[in-house]
Amino acid sequence: MSKLRDRAEREIGPRVIVAASTITAPARTAAAARRATGRSGRLELYFGFDDPASAFAVIDLEQRLQGRKVIFDLLPVVERGIKDDPALERKRIYGVTDGRRLGRRIGLTLSRSEPIDRQQTAFLADWVAAAPRGSALTRFCAAACRRLWFESDGPVEAERYEELWRECFGSAPIADQAAVRANQKKMAGRGPYETPAAWIGGRWFFAQDRSAQIADWLDQLGWTVK
Amino acid sequence: MAAARVDYFYSFRSPYSYLSAPRGFALADDFEIDLCFRGVLPMMMRGESVPVAKRLHTMRDVKREADRLGMPFGRIHDPLGEGATRTLAVSEHAIDVGRAREFVLAAGQAIWAEATDPATDEGLRRICDSAGLDWEGCRAAISDPQIAARVDANTDELVEIGHWGVPVFVFGGEQFWGQDRIDDLTLTLREAGLSRG
Repeated sequence: MSKLRDRAEREIGPRVIVAASTITAPARTAAAARRATGRSGRLELYFGFDDPASAFAVIDLEQRLQGRKVIFDLLPVVERGIKDDPALERKRIYGVTDGRRLGRRIGLTLSRSEPIDRQQTAFLADWVAAAPRGSALTRFCAAACRRLWFESDGPVEAERYEELWRECFGSAPIADQAAVRANQKKMAGRGPYETPAAWIGGRWFFAQDRSAQIADWLDQLGWTVK
Repeated sequence: MAAARVDYFYSFRSPYSYLSAPRGFALADDFEIDLCFRGVLPMMMRGESVPVAKRLHTMRDVKREADRLGMPFGRIHDPLGEGATRTLAVSEHAIDVGRAREFVLAAGQAIWAEATDPATDEGLRRICDSAGLDWEGCRAAISDPQIAARVDANTDELVEIGHWGVPVFVFGGEQFWGQDRIDDLTLTLREAGLSRG
């Protein structure tokens, strides 16, 4: 490898990425334009119902966004993660241990000791991806995440979640797997490769660990707590 | 009675390890523990791939976290390869002479904030000097096969305990992965009655 190429890979490239990440003017201008035309900010949360960190993020962000003029756009996914990741199974098992710690931060106790297979909760993603955005959907997602990870153990029974859906929407759910695939494609296009990921004004954050960064970025964009 | 042991798995090529170091080493100030620094080879030298999307996000995320923590970050020299192995060898020597904390903190800052190349004698020596280490001892460690075997053993143990990334802290068989979990480890140590004073 030439010296110049080596230096570009080891020093110049990383420095350019870091420097570019500090440019905020375009995002702030776009947010100001949205406000000037009466529109809200938007936080897209890519999450998996089979993921305890996602459950934490849904519940936590629902609380943290209160008082900000920001749409909480809940976008469930099923397939995600690093392609051919050899650590996939270990990460799922560790995720339960980690979910216990995350739950404790918001006063909840994890009720499961084993991971949930993603296919067991795929029906929830199919329903949510097909539903109209709004407070009923947010309520359902937060309640379903609580029930899945903090109030139940064992197999996931679709009937129980259908009851919850009817309580929130007053009608039966409609499943749409194509809408889930569209979420997965959108997530990949935004950059995140794992859940839970929050995308706001051109930046994404791991939603379970970056509450302070998310709040700071929303403030910088002008979507402050009123 | 022997102090409780906390293993601290760390890679000099991991910017999250760099972020963890000041708080990681400070655990030994606050708790009655034996903090065992365990330097490991970078993921990419362990045969694991790191996708471009992950690499890009890591740089951006670490910059934001470094700003939040008040740590310098951005003038980088990626030490993948010889830079990493030489730094690991010296870290083992630093353990032997009781200056692991000083060396790891100095090396992290040099690599992630001062674009120092530890693959060169000039770069590594500067780090060793700032950590108060004798250069001749450090240079001998770089070519010492027993030191290299210790690094390999650390790397193997990380795999054996079933983990994939760093930093990882292990206390009483429980793993705490990531610089974001130091607060959780702190809470666990406090609950175990290990607070000093």
